Order: sequence, then C-alpha cells, then structure tokens
Amino acid sequence: MRQLKQTILLISILLFTVVQSFAADAKQRFPKPEFDTGYAHPQTTAPSARLLFLEYMDILVLLVVLSLVTWFVLKKRSRNGVFWTSVFSLLYFGFYREGCICSIGSIQNVVLGIFDPTYAIPLTALLFFLLPLLFALFFGRVFCGGACPLGAIQDMVAIKPIELPKWIQKVLGLIPYLYLGLALLYVATKSEFIICRYDPFVGFFRLDAPFNMLVLGVLFLVVGVFVARPYCRFFCPYGVLLGWMSKFSSKHMTITPSACIQCKLCANSCPFGVIDEPVVETGKRRSNVNRLMTYFVILPLWIGIGGFAGSMMHVPLSRFNETVYMAEQIVENPEVKNDPDNIDVRTFMSSGKSTEQLVIEADAIRHQFYIGGWILGGFMGLVIGTSLIGLSTFRKREDWEPNKTNCLSCARCMDYCPVGATLGERPDLKSKIVNR
Amino acid sequence: MNTTTNDKIKVARWIAWIAAGFSLMVAFLLIANFVQIHLNDPIDNKTIPALIKRLSQDSGDESLKAEIRAFDLMARKAYFTSQWQLRTGSYLLLLGVIISILSVRYILSAKSKLNDIDPVEKINGLDQLVAQKWVIYVGSGLIVIALASGFLSYNSLKEYMVNENLVVQEEKPAEASTPNIQTQAETPADLPNSNGGAPSATTGDNATVAENTAPTQAPANSAVAVPAASAPAVAVPAGFPTMAELKTNYPFFRGAQGNGVAAQKNTPTDWNAAADKNVIWKVKVPKAGFSSPIIWGTQLFVTGADAQARVVYCYDKNTGKLLWEASADNIEGSPAKMPKVTGDTGLAAPTMATDGRAVFAIFATGDVIALDMSGKRLWARNLGVPDNHYGHGSSLIVYKDKLLIQYDTNKSGKLIALSTQTGATAWETVRSSKISWSSPILVNTGSRTELILTTNPNVNGYDPQTGKELWNIACLSGEVGPSAGYADGMVFAANEYAKLVGIKIGGTPEIAWEADEFLPEVSSPLAVNGLLYVATTYGVFACYDAKTGTKNWSQEYGDGFYSSPIYADGKVYITDIAGKTHIVKATKDYQLIGIPELGEKAVCSPVFQDGRVYLRGINQLYCLGTK
Repeated sequence: MRQLKQTILLISILLFTVVQSFAADAKQRFPKPEFDTGYAHPQTTAPSARLLFLEYMDILVLLVVLSLVTWFVLKKRSRNGVFWTSVFSLLYFGFYREGCICSIGSIQNVVLGIFDPTYAIPLTALLFFLLPLLFALFFGRVFCGGACPLGAIQDMVAIKPIELPKWIQKVLGLIPYLYLGLALLYVATKSEFIICRYDPFVGFFRLDAPFNMLVLGVLFLVVGVFVARPYCRFFCPYGVLLGWMSKFSSKHMTITPSACIQCKLCANSCPFGVIDEPVVETGKRRSNVNRLMTYFVILPLWIGIGGFAGSMMHVPLSRFNETVYMAEQIVENPEVKNDPDNIDVRTFMSSGKSTEQLVIEADAIRHQFYIGGWILGGFMGLVIGTSLIGLSTFRKREDWEPNKTNCLSCARCMDYCPVGATLGERPDLKSKIVNR
Repeated sequence: MNTTTNDKIKVARWIAWIAAGFSLMVAFLLIANFVQIHLNDPIDNKTIPALIKRLSQDSGDESLKAEIRAFDLMARKAYFTSQWQLRTGSYLLLLGVIISILSVRYILSAKSKLNDIDPVEKINGLDQLVAQKWVIYVGSGLIVIALASGFLSYNSLKEYMVNENLVVQEEKPAEASTPNIQTQAETPADLPNSNGGAPSATTGDNATVAENTAPTQAPANSAVAVPAASAPAVAVPAGFPTMAELKTNYPFFRGAQGNGVAAQKNTPTDWNAAADKNVIWKVKVPKAGFSSPIIWGTQLFVTGADAQARVVYCYDKNTGKLLWEASADNIEGSPAKMPKVTGDTGLAAPTMATDGRAVFAIFATGDVIALDMSGKRLWARNLGVPDNHYGHGSSLIVYKDKLLIQYDTNKSGKLIALSTQTGATAWETVRSSKISWSSPILVNTGSRTELILTTNPNVNGYDPQTGKELWNIACLSGEVGPSAGYADGMVFAANEYAKLVGIKIGGTPEIAWEADEFLPEVSSPLAVNGLLYVATTYGVFACYDAKTGTKNWSQEYGDGFYSSPIYADGKVYITDIAGKTHIVKATKDYQLIGIPELGEKAVCSPVFQDGRVYLRGINQLYCLGTK
C-alpha cells in the first residue's frame, strides 16, 4: 500500500513537472534596446498560452467536482465529503489555477460574447458558465457547496457564525442583483470586467494583489468568521443566477432523508440562515391580501422610477470607462496633454486620435450607459418590487426545509437530522437530543 | 502513552495560538515593508534623476557615472529585496493562517460535530413586516442616491460638444457678413483658444470649410528644444519677410520662391569631400532624412526621423555645430505606429520652411511643428496621417503669415494654409487631384503672386492668400513627383511616362509646347535665362529652349538624378545619386564647369549661401567651399 502511494506521488510529481515545462516556452516580447557597451542580453521569457488540453482538463475537473458534490449531497448525505471536495476546489481552482478561470467571472465572457461581435467566447468560459447553472437547475447550488474556491475559502473561516435578522439578510440580499446589473452594464459597454477586478480573494490565490483589494479580502475573511460566507450571500452576482436555477431544481437536497419528524434539531444548524421554518399565516388575511395587491400595483412604479434613477446615474457610472475618463480628463484639464508623466494621456496623444474624436467616442459610450442605466434601474426596481411581493406572500409550510434559492448545498444541516442516523455512532447528536 | 481528546484539543489550541501569533507578526512585518516601500520607493528614487541631470552638464565625468551606476544597483537591490520579502512573507502568512484555521476547525470538530449558530429571536410575521419596511427604505434610498448623484454630476463632455458646435454656429454669420476671409483668419486675436477650435473659411467653388481643429499649444514654460550647446540668442524681426530677405537667405526647398533659382553669388565649383578638399565642415545628422537644408541667418535646419522620433536639427551654418534639436512629439492625433513608407522616401522627406521668425517642419506622420528660432515649440498639430504609399514628400513653403501645405493623398487632394503664428487652419482647398509628391512654388507673375502645384492630372495656380484656384490645365499623368518650374510668365511641368509641358500663364493659361523625350521622375525642372533644365532618374540631364520646347542639348551620365537642378551665379548645379554634382554654365550650349564629388550618395538638392554650398548626403551634411 505504502509503495503504491509512493508510486502515485512520484507519477504526480513527474506529470506536474512535464506540464509546467510546456508553459516555460520562451518568447521575445519586445525588441532589445541597442547597447554599444558589449552588454550581453539575458534570455527573456514570457509564458505561452495555456495548453488547450489543460483547459479541457479544467472543464473535466469542474464536471467531476460538481458530480462528486452532487453525489455527496444527494446520495451520501455527507458533509465531510462536501467539505473535502471544497478543500480540493480551493487548492485546484483557487491556488493552482489562481482563481482563473472562474464561473463567477465567466458571466462577463458570456455577456461580452453577446455584445461584442469581435469577441469569440472561449469554450472553457462558456462551459464554466453553463455547467454550474445546469447542475443548479437539477440538483441545487452544488457549485456553491463544493466547487467554488471563493466559497471554500470563506467556509474555512466560518468558525463562529451568527444568524442575521431577516431584514438585514433581505436588504443585503439586494446587493448581488445590483452587482450583477453593474457587471453586465460594464461588460456590455466594453468598459470593465468588474467582477474580476474587484474579486476580493484572487489576491490570496495569486499571493499578489493591490493593497486595497488585499484589505478588502482580509475584511471579508474576518467578517466571515462570524457572518458565514458574506461574499457568497451578499455580493456574488453568479449566485443570483444559480439561485434562479436552483429554485426550479427537482432533486434539491433535503434536510431529512425521509419524512421530517419535527424535532427542530436542525433549526440553528444553517450558518447561512436559509432553512425555512414551518409557516402559518399570521395577521389579518384581508390586510395581508391588500398589502400584496398594493405591492403588485406599485411594481411598475418601482421599475419606472428605478429606470429613471438608473438613467440619471449614467454620467457617474460611465466614468469607470477608460475612454470616458480620458475624455473628461482632457476636456476638464487640457493641460494634462502636456504632462509627460501621465502615461494614459501620453498613450492617447500618440494614438492618432484627436480630442474631438475622443469626445465623440466617449459621448457615444455615455449614451450606452444612459440606455443601460434605464435597464439597470428598471431591473433593480423589479428586484425590490418582487422582494416585497415575496415578503408578503405566505406559502404554507409544515416542515423545516432548505430554501431552494439561497441554500448553498453545504450539507451541514444533514448532520443534525436524527432520521435514519445511528445514534450509537453519533454521540454528539445523541447528547443534543438528550439536552433538548 | 494514551492521549485523550482533551489532550489533542489542548495541543491544537497551542498550535492555533502560535500560528495566529506568527501570522500576526508576519502580517505586521509585511505592512511595515509595504509602508517603507511606499514612503521610499527605490523605483522612484529622486537621487538618480538628479545625478543624471548633473551628468548632462558634464558628460565626461566618469566618477559621476560610477556613482549613478552604484545608486542604480542599490535601488534595484532594494526593490528586489523588498519584492522577495513581500513574496516570502505572503507565503509564511498564508501558511500561518492555514495552520491556525485548521487547528481551530480541529478543536471545533473534536468538541462536537454539531455547532449551532447563535440564533436571533424570530417572529415570523413581524420579521416579514420589518423586512418589507427595510426593503422599502433601502430601495427608496438607492433611488434617492441615484437621482441625487445624477443631478449633481456634471457632464463636461456634453458641454464641450455644445461649445464646439457653438464655435461653428458663431462663425457662420461672421463669414456671411465678412466675406474677406483674410481678415478673419489672419488676425490672431480672432482665433479661439486651443480648446475652442480654429476659425474656418470657405474659399470658392473648390474650397471646403476648414477642419475645426486647433494645434497643440505648448505651455509657455515648456522648452521643447534640447540645446546641444549654448545657442546664441536669435533676434526675431517683426512683420513678414521681404523678397530681398528671402533671397538673401535660403528659406525653402529650391530657394526663395521654390523654383530652383538661387540669388547667391560666388558659388563654389570645386570640392572633393572624400579627399577632404574644400570641406569647411561636415556632420552626421543623428536621424536619417531626405529633406534638403534651409538657411536663415547663421542657422541651418534639417529634419531627421525614425520610428522612435521625428526631429528638427538646427546647426550653425558656419561651424556645423548643432545648436539645438527639437522633437515633434506629444502631438495630438499623431499616430503611435509609424505609417508605412518606402526606404527611398522615409519619414522625413519634406524640406522645412522658414520665414525668419519661425521654422516649420512636416513629417510623414502628418505632424506639422512650428518652432521659434531658438527651438522652442510655438505650436504643433497633426493633419491626419497621410495615406501615402511611399511616404509624404511635399515640402513646405511660407507666404506672408501662412504656411502652405500640399496634402495630396490616396484619399483626397488638399492644399492647406495654416497660420504661421498659431497653426490654425486659415483655409483649406480641396483639389481634384490624385496623390502626388510635388512641392508648391510661389511665383510673381507681375500682376499677382501665385502658388503653383503639379499633380495628376492638373497643373494648378492658386491665390496663396485665399486658396482660391485661379487656373488649371490637365496635362500630367502617373505619380507626379517633380514640382513646377517657372520663368518669364511660363510654368513648366513634367512627369515620367507623361510629358514635359510649357504653359503660358496670365490671361487664359494655355499649353505653349509639349515634349516627351526626357522626362523626370523625381527631379523638378529648372527654368532660367530662357532655358529649361530637366534631370531624369536614368541619368540624362537635358536643356531645352524654355519658350519653344526645342532641345538644346542632353548629356547622359552614369548615375541618375533624384535631386533638382539649382541655378546660382550663372551656373546650374545638379547632383546625381552617386553624390557627383554636375556644374554647367547656364547657357544654350553645354559647357561643363566641373563634377565635384561628395564621396557618398545624395538625393538632396544643393543649397547656397555666402559663397558656400551646403549638401546633405545620405549620411552626412556638408558645408563646401573655400576654407
């Protein structure tokens, strides 16, 4: 057995070395400066593009991980299995692949592929976008449970989680929609991949990040000790799409393997607060219905006002576009054109474009932001309106169930369920039952 | 020894504490390193630039060079050491954090697999209501913030565009009420600032509204020129230069009028640069160019260019000392990538022009730059990269306060006049022409001054003041390179595979005669003393009767001609591509005076001044004459 392990280890090391040697293919990027001092130029190298088969391997790994997590969640009902798979994902997609490629960021590739006819979306990016959604549509958010490196790193530090009041969860839960909308807007206007730029954890994976992003990452992890997975729950734009898919999942995980015995042992098991308790309608039915009807009626108002407000934001929002930023910089401070240290302006000055051309281009982009602002604002109005409708809708529920939209399929709650468990092998569960 | 779970938890706790303490310490060191690097960035060390500045004053100071190298090495070491520290620290921090997290997780799992979260009190219906309220608050807040930031944000682009349109709108009534374009365009006070665009004017049927572009004004304290030595202060005369001034100097390609007739006397006829005979000085121009020299006062100007820089060089004409050089850089609209040009045209083919108040240069990039006589940039602008498959080759000429530019490209033909003072477009005339490389010449017909241009298919006369086309005769074809010649009321135009024509102007211009035996490809015809000289690329130098087109003589030399014949002091000088200058008497009969040699290839035309001839070879610039 020991010999087998050593052989596997040796083969792994050899394979890794061979794979790495491909990447060290040398390329001359810039012409060498001409020295007349007899200086011997060192051989400069640049990494070549990642080999295609390695990209396909990434897809394969993702597929295997998703399948494995699904199996652990639905068949084995094993939190340990999910946990260790997520550790693998953290090591592979996080530290080895340095956070790229990632399903969260792939939203931007897909949207760019739609809006920019010159951009051909890589197959890897497309599949990284589609596969987790497909799994979510059938099995729930298994990607969040064990395949997402961002989720895994936060899961590691969720040591002392507390439950947040519902209103905080609901309010913070609006942020991912806004983030998603902004991300799409900036990609559709070919401005920026903000999801990647403001990824708080990629700096850890690469051991290199701007200071502010490093601070942000540390903050997320520190907060994550008490508020489990803050990025996943309150920021992740991909989580929005996964939630939409997961809502319709037919084979979503359940807390109990069979009928719920209403033991309530799982009530405080979920660090993400996504276990829906049994519900009975409270308050006067008529006033509840009236409130619901009111929210339905004002829904178009939310959309309209939101759209208008979003369109008003087009000027500040567009400043993140580098063309608009440059145009404003030159128009408002024409003296920057003579600033030898302003590299951006120097680049523009030697680009062959005139200020007039730049301003016209920037204005066209700003107009795109105006249209996009209407759509983004309208979308946020819709989100707020439907959130209110959702909060005033009562669906009778008798059991403790994971919320299909928000459940991250981490499988923690399953350990709390005594149904089908052999209590002799689970002293912790047994003592919990006894201490109830 | 049996270890209990409690023992394991105890050990794990110790490990967790040690790892956490270690991580904290590393984090503190990393932050200290970060702060130190930000406070004193080795990459942005102020000492080295200061030392380099000192070195520029004394380039031979070896100890200073050694000091710079030592500082540079130290800065690099400091930078890479800090990078190593950051990287190593990051790894250590990561390791510490992982160990502490694993230890804590072990402790938690060892205690119990089931870790309840700290719950909050929940009242289902009330929670829903509170959540609704907060969603409404936050939603409304978001809308208010969006509206407020929208209202408070200032769209400077819109205002800029509106202002740009207002400039055009304001100018239209001015044009309508004041048809005298000269007044509008020539008064600098009327010109808007650099952001407001330049005045535009229409100039007749063929004219278009000038582009609403303004040149880049260099800031007052911006000294663009790099003095190569202590440049003497140059007195700048007021007003426009007189013809006498122009003739005394050598301000344009092919002399004071651009027609190849130089007013200088006592021009030398004997030199041999290879043998250093009668070489007063010679210098290597740092960057290559096919532009001929121009001279004003004691200053001689040439251009040179490569992919890295386009440069104007000013030399002392008496000593060959480089007085200053100025780069045509940081020009708005200038292309990042050099346009594709052929090796025999290059990026600096057009000859400069000067009016004694400023010097002007144009490059194949479409960059036009104006410098004062001490090399300080007055203005610069890009006319749009010319679509020219060989490279822009037409030289500049100045008429009063206008810099006149032939801009015939594959896309369109234009004659552009820029204000010499501001660079603003004074007028712009669209030409019905194909691409050409000929240069404008200015001739006084007796009744008026005309700017004459050759192209495919026309030879045109323009009013240099307004850009209005005065006449045109379609007589040429092909890729027209030679400029026009002029003498005694007749214009001479020629092109290889087309013909040589004599056009009588004044009244109704008409072709007086045609010939097609010897046709130049690049070299321009020279008309003087009733004679017309043409030099061909295949090495024939021929003389015609200017009035009738009858050939007087022709001589076939071994090497062809790219440069143009220049008349000076009763002689005609023509330099072949091997660098041999054939000097003949300007008479009906062929009388060779001499064939002095430069010792290197040459395509530029000779320039005369103070009994000396200035010739630019492929590599060096020469001042030739009796020492």
